[in-house]
Amino acid sequence: MTHPARVECAMRTALPASLQAIEEFFVEFRRQQSALPHGGSWFTAELLVREALTNAVLHGCHADPRRLVRCVLRLKGRRLLIAVEDDGDGFDWRAAWSHPAALTDCSGRGIGILRKYANHVRYNDRGNVVAIVKRLC
Amino acid sequence: MIAVTREEDKAVIRLAGDNIVAASVAALRSKMRGIVQDGVRELVVDLTGVQMVDSSGIGLLISAHNSLRKVGGRLAVVHASAEILELFQTMRMHQHFSVSGN
Repeated sequence: MTHPARVECAMRTALPASLQAIEEFFVEFRRQQSALPHGGSWFTAELLVREALTNAVLHGCHADPRRLVRCVLRLKGRRLLIAVEDDGDGFDWRAAWSHPAALTDCSGRGIGILRKYANHVRYNDRGNVVAIVKRLC
Repeated sequence: MIAVTREEDKAVIRLAGDNIVAASVAALRSKMRGIVQDGVRELVVDLTGVQMVDSSGIGLLISAHNSLRKVGGRLAVVHASAEILELFQTMRMHQHFSVSGN
């Protein structure tokens, strides 16, 4: 029986809390991801990272670019760990988690996307750190 | 780059590969608002070349759909990639407006 090569890769970044900085982050993210397997799963991976970063920038740091958002991505085999931390006051993830957006709501779907697409999501009590696990196909 | 073609009360927005994400929704919202205020009732968003739509982008499309419905219009999204189509179905967007793939 042969075992596929175990891919291990990590990316660690600190970025200013701005939406433009998120876009710059994804230029590098896509460059690194293009060299890795699991092609069909990277849309989902990017979506999860985007939602975590956007929550941190908009809700954690109120888009104040003087604040920092830290992101660690770690791929081991098929398991992708996404960890995002902001230096803001945290946000009420429990309320967002227990009250998903209604069909006609124009916002509030970020947590819903995490719930539907991630295998595991965990916030700290303060709500400024989230760890997400996604098993890539 | 956002390109708009218009014929009577119908308009097509082509995004030329721009993603509909938190960083880009403000510009697109402004463009859509102007189009609806200008009398468009049938708005088509062409996602050819678009690689990503996030929750902010979904919120924008819902907002455009709500605005158009208030004035008797409708929104349609066309040429979505397989991944974006699946996202819209997962988030039940197809219950609001027409969504079709490549």
